[in-house]
Amino acid sequence: MDNVKDCSMVTEHIESGKRKVTLSLTVNGRQIVRDVDPNMTLLHFLRDNLKLFGTKEACGEGECGACTIIMNGQAVTSCIILAVEAEGAEITTVEGLAEDGKLSILQEEFISQDALQCGFCTPGFLMSTRALLDNNPNPTDAEIVEVLGGNLCRCTGYIPIMLAVRRAAERERKELGR
Amino acid sequence: MISRFTYFKPHNLNEAVQYLEKKEKSFVLAGGTDLMILLRRNLINAEHIVDIKALPETTAFEFIEGAGLTIGASVVVNTVVDSEVVKAKYPALNEAAASLASYQLRNRATVVGNICNASPGADLPPALLVYDAVVNIAGPQGMRQVPLHEFFTGVKRTVLQRGELVVSVQMPEPGEGDKSIYLRQARLRGHDLATVGVASRIKPDGKVAIGICAVAPTPKRLFALEDMINERGLSQETIEWAAEEIREHIRPITDVRSSAQYRLQMASVLLKRGLLALIGKEA
Repeated sequence: MDNVKDCSMVTEHIESGKRKVTLSLTVNGRQIVRDVDPNMTLLHFLRDNLKLFGTKEACGEGECGACTIIMNGQAVTSCIILAVEAEGAEITTVEGLAEDGKLSILQEEFISQDALQCGFCTPGFLMSTRALLDNNPNPTDAEIVEVLGGNLCRCTGYIPIMLAVRRAAERERKELGR
Repeated sequence: MISRFTYFKPHNLNEAVQYLEKKEKSFVLAGGTDLMILLRRNLINAEHIVDIKALPETTAFEFIEGAGLTIGASVVVNTVVDSEVVKAKYPALNEAAASLASYQLRNRATVVGNICNASPGADLPPALLVYDAVVNIAGPQGMRQVPLHEFFTGVKRTVLQRGELVVSVQMPEPGEGDKSIYLRQARLRGHDLATVGVASRIKPDGKVAIGICAVAPTPKRLFALEDMINERGLSQETIEWAAEEIREHIRPITDVRSSAQYRLQMASVLLKRGLLALIGKEA
């Protein structure tokens, strides 16, 4: 993947010139060791260094949820976390949801319910939902709303997203015995 | 970002304090939900970031019967939201914590960070104030304790001196029959800063405590108003009187979120609603 050209973001990471820090962590099950600029955000690290372009930047201030990833089991906004803070962490990004090229149930239901239009916010919604369903396979509507409240969508509307999450939860319980 | 900073993650408190004292332009990092935004907006110029999450003292989250609750500086807000003991013993703190920002941010944002950021509109201080919270501070001269109501000195300003960092916040155990509630008004139901937030508490002896945010340069405990209420004795009549009297005890400003007049009105309404709910009456 290292030959993939840069994929532009709203903010570019500017090298600080400070001594790099060796960072080791697990991303989507893969053990990774890299030297990183201590000023780099985790979001920039995932995109610029690991070329995982699924995680998006929109607001860059933790307000919109587009950059949501799962870090040590919790949904967090990677734009306001330093890469160096992820030392030893287990991280899952949207690229980690499909297995062997087959979409996960959650992804299938976002498609079947038309829970996206432009798709920019979708990786964030998927990761917030993944963390929710991992911790609580049978959430109430209120619990879904609470967790997805930190993810903004400006085109689909939230009803299809709610439907997709509900159906994914149901199917996971039935098909995966959660 | 104009800041160019080194990153330091100390493993013991002395190391952290010495570093903070020695290095100019060093900032403490816990959850980063405020700090990262200050950096991004170039509102601060940091040369050193000190990540305190590996300090054992900051990870404490424990309730000891008789002694009370301690929340370390690395403890995130969702830990408090999910805590059964906080729900049972400190309901206003549970409610304030659950109202803070969004779910993802609460997975990073810390309780102590919400104090140290010293925003006038911070949600957690009103609740912590009514439980007589005390801030544990480590510094070059050792540890010191400051009651939370003396911790804030102005908008985004605290008593913290160079080289000092907050290790934890602690509060005594409320007695049997203690009641409390946190009510906030915001422009929308979801993720918004409070226009006004009011924590009300009635202690087992019938005495009240009131904490409020977003109506003064700092979150405040309204001691003078509490004394007046306690002197009159708690009743529906006293509560209605207090809801008017509170206007004399706060000095809200007009800003993007609200006019001063609306803040006065909402402080009145939220105090009345809160205290009436605690004595089992509807507003």
